Amino acid sequence: MSDLTRFYRLRPGELSLPLPLPTLSLEPTAGQVFMFSAVTWNRHHIHYSDEAARAEGHQGVVVQRALIGNFLARLLTGWLAERGEIRSLSWKVVKSARPGRPLRCGGDVVTVEELGGERRLRCELKVVGEDDELLATGNATLILH
Amino acid sequence: MNERTIEVAVTPQAEAPASGVERADAAAGAPKRRKCRVTARDIRRFAQAIGESCPLLDDDDESLLAPPLFCQTLAYEELPLELLPPDGSPKELDVPVPAKRVVGGSSEFTLYRRVRAGELLAVVTTLKAVRVKHGKSGPLYLLDVETQCTDPEGNPVSTEVATYVKRP
Repeated sequence: MSDLTRFYRLRPGELSLPLPLPTLSLEPTAGQVFMFSAVTWNRHHIHYSDEAARAEGHQGVVVQRALIGNFLARLLTGWLAERGEIRSLSWKVVKSARPGRPLRCGGDVVTVEELGGERRLRCELKVVGEDDELLATGNATLILH
Repeated sequence: MNERTIEVAVTPQAEAPASGVERADAAAGAPKRRKCRVTARDIRRFAQAIGESCPLLDDDDESLLAPPLFCQTLAYEELPLELLPPDGSPKELDVPVPAKRVVGGSSEFTLYRRVRAGELLAVVTTLKAVRVKHGKSGPLYLLDVETQCTDPEGNPVSTEVATYVKRP
């Protein structure tokens, strides 16, 4: 029985929490950062110029805050597999991610509630880089169909 | 880090300023409003940019469902490069605080429903607050920018409050 199926078959009090979410591993490329700047019409030079980013105190081109959020959204939608929706997603970047470096997105379902006939899950999330360095923290509320 | 944080409510009627932060506050409270038609091409490009697979449908196909955070594509006004600050950062962050370097800090995204291709959305962007934190390395200016998307009937689609950090 998959983890998500358990949420349908068991009552909230019967679930063992926290329940780990699957890990989403990825490596944003310079091309992906460029594409994300293009589709969001974000011309800030720290997202395409290593030289400009270093002049501002970064180690090189910076992965956008908004793209980090989309990685977390992908983690959640991949796990939900069209059996639920994200209702809210918050995240905070604690260290800039860089293209060409591997990332892992993960987290746990920490609470399950029944509200108005809906099953609502709250998740705590994080993004880590190499050597488990924390890059971002987050939390989300999910509704199961 | 000095935990003392000055929080300033942003309104167009803000009183005469006594500091740089408050001047920024008074200058930037008015919301910017525009309408945007979402196309299948917009959704497809956004999906590819975030690394999701997306069906290659025709641009007039209205069945295509956008990824959850798609409305981020509507956050920044489509101004020509010469109207942006020298670093190319969004005009929405161009407030008169004594700080030039900016980076994205955090987001709170509320999603009421997913967006489909073909929809017309009303977008309102507002600088909600400018806060300053005093640390050992100097002041940090935190800019809270809210982007609200609604459908033509005024029903909410999404709201994002993004916080940007500006440093001298």
